[in-house]
Amino acid sequence: MLGRRGALGRGLMTVPAALVYIGLMVVPVGYAVYYSFTEYNGIPTQAPEWVGLENYTRIFTDPTGDMHSSLWVTGVIAVVGAFGVNVIALGLALLLRRTTPFTAFARAVMFYPHVLSALIVGFLWQAILGPQGAVNNLLTGSGRSTLPFLSDPDWALATMIAVIVWAQLGVQLVLYLAGLQAVPADLQEAATLDGAGRVQVFQHVTWPALAPTVTVTIVTSVLSLLKVYEVVLGLTNGGPGDATQTWAYEILAVSFANNKVGLACAQAMLLIVVAGILSFTIIALRRRAEEGAEALS
Amino acid sequence: MSLSGSRSARTRTTLRNGAIAVLSVAMLVPLYIVVVNAFKPQQEILLSPLGFDPATATTQFLQDAWTNPNFPVVSGYAVTLFLVVACNVVAIGVSVPTAYVIARTPTVLFRVLLMFFVAGMFIPAQIILVPAIFVLKALHLMGTLPGLVLFMSSTMIPFTLFIFTGYIRMLPRSLDEAAAIDGASQQRVLWRIVFPLMKPIVATAFILNALSAWNDFVSPQLILGPGSSFRTITTGVYAAVSSYTTNYEIVFPTLLLAVVPILLIFVLMQRHVMSGLSAGAVKG
Repeated sequence: MLGRRGALGRGLMTVPAALVYIGLMVVPVGYAVYYSFTEYNGIPTQAPEWVGLENYTRIFTDPTGDMHSSLWVTGVIAVVGAFGVNVIALGLALLLRRTTPFTAFARAVMFYPHVLSALIVGFLWQAILGPQGAVNNLLTGSGRSTLPFLSDPDWALATMIAVIVWAQLGVQLVLYLAGLQAVPADLQEAATLDGAGRVQVFQHVTWPALAPTVTVTIVTSVLSLLKVYEVVLGLTNGGPGDATQTWAYEILAVSFANNKVGLACAQAMLLIVVAGILSFTIIALRRRAEEGAEALS
Repeated sequence: MSLSGSRSARTRTTLRNGAIAVLSVAMLVPLYIVVVNAFKPQQEILLSPLGFDPATATTQFLQDAWTNPNFPVVSGYAVTLFLVVACNVVAIGVSVPTAYVIARTPTVLFRVLLMFFVAGMFIPAQIILVPAIFVLKALHLMGTLPGLVLFMSSTMIPFTLFIFTGYIRMLPRSLDEAAAIDGASQQRVLWRIVFPLMKPIVATAFILNALSAWNDFVSPQLILGPGSSFRTITTGVYAAVSSYTTNYEIVFPTLLLAVVPILLIFVLMQRHVMSGLSAGAVKG
């Protein structure tokens, strides 16, 4: 049964997936590696010119002083956003963990922003928080001064993180709810009978048992926050100035849009490498906590 | 003692339900703002963004948004739905046989093959799009729907294949071995016996892929090009709104047309979407 024909047939069955995947993901990564060492304006008649590490040194030295702020913005979004999204989602999950028609409704309400495109979420909040948006009109209408949600650099970044948290907390909520179902109920009851308070039960039973879920939620939220682009386009278009320009915005709307394909590819490579290293680091760091969870169940 | 205990438990439940109600309303306020303001003229939107006066309400701006040449609503929906279906057919269609072979062949080679595919999960689609454009150009697929479908499908394959492989590994091997002994070909075993058993995981993959295809903006915008005759909902909204972000007579009706159908689908399929997501995450 495991003859040569079987092996050949088996190999052939992987060909369609491999063709599409290699053709449009692996080969482009190869192109990106190659172009990242060249200067190339993307015009087919002009060949890419080999420049060695120039694009990478440009990223690290940032002679025109516009790239490092994007790195900073992306880092802040990834760290603050991941923290905010996970704390709020976990809090909501604890609040909504019992299944009643009311909590089922509330879960759907918390989740709905996720089915909207990030671009549309951006435009929507721009209409609500913009200088002439709904909130500022309400403020002026009641005789108060307006708030610079999107017009002050620091406010704009904070606003953007809040909008991203609003849009993404539903996904993490669903993951935490699934994780909470796996927390052994008898352990929680036993702890309560032994006189443990709510905080103690959470600290010593629920939180350790959630460890595998927490790993998944941190990795998925950080990965999605590192590539934030569409919400920027809708909400601030990178402004004011470059206060909300993310790394993905830098790649697509600055480098690529200005025909700097080589630089765009070097920037893309950096993001892919950082995303990979971060994911594996988080997974490795979480291994200990997860072993604790296994010991519990 | 027990009386006060039950009273404090009741207070806690009331408090919790109150908190849930307040948070739910807060989440829904932006949606409410879109809905009421889609029926109001600019001046009224600016003066009372939360109010709704049936006497001055008009569907004029919705009609304008409907006929806006930048965002052809009906064809935008048609193109987007086509992308959802076509990308899923390609991604699921190629992932099923590959996942089956990988799951049923416990050799190092196929384990490495799985890792090779799964590595793609860490590559953000919109980041790899820039070099992918050059591949599509070389294949003369740039600016075409097939090119767009192929690229979007390729970004779906890693996750789809990953959850399929995990699922098939849980299906009893004896099933397909028995069929193979009866003389059924490998393809027949796969599509007639294994595939029907994969219904739940195929539904999960379909829902998650559908969401990402439906909401994708960068791929259609860059691959089809801003001047393309094909617009998706997201590229249409961008064309209609991006230059007029303070003209709320355009912004709100356009956004309403873009979000209502997907929200209706979500309300109808809500339980499947959310359980599909957690199933996918647990497998992931």
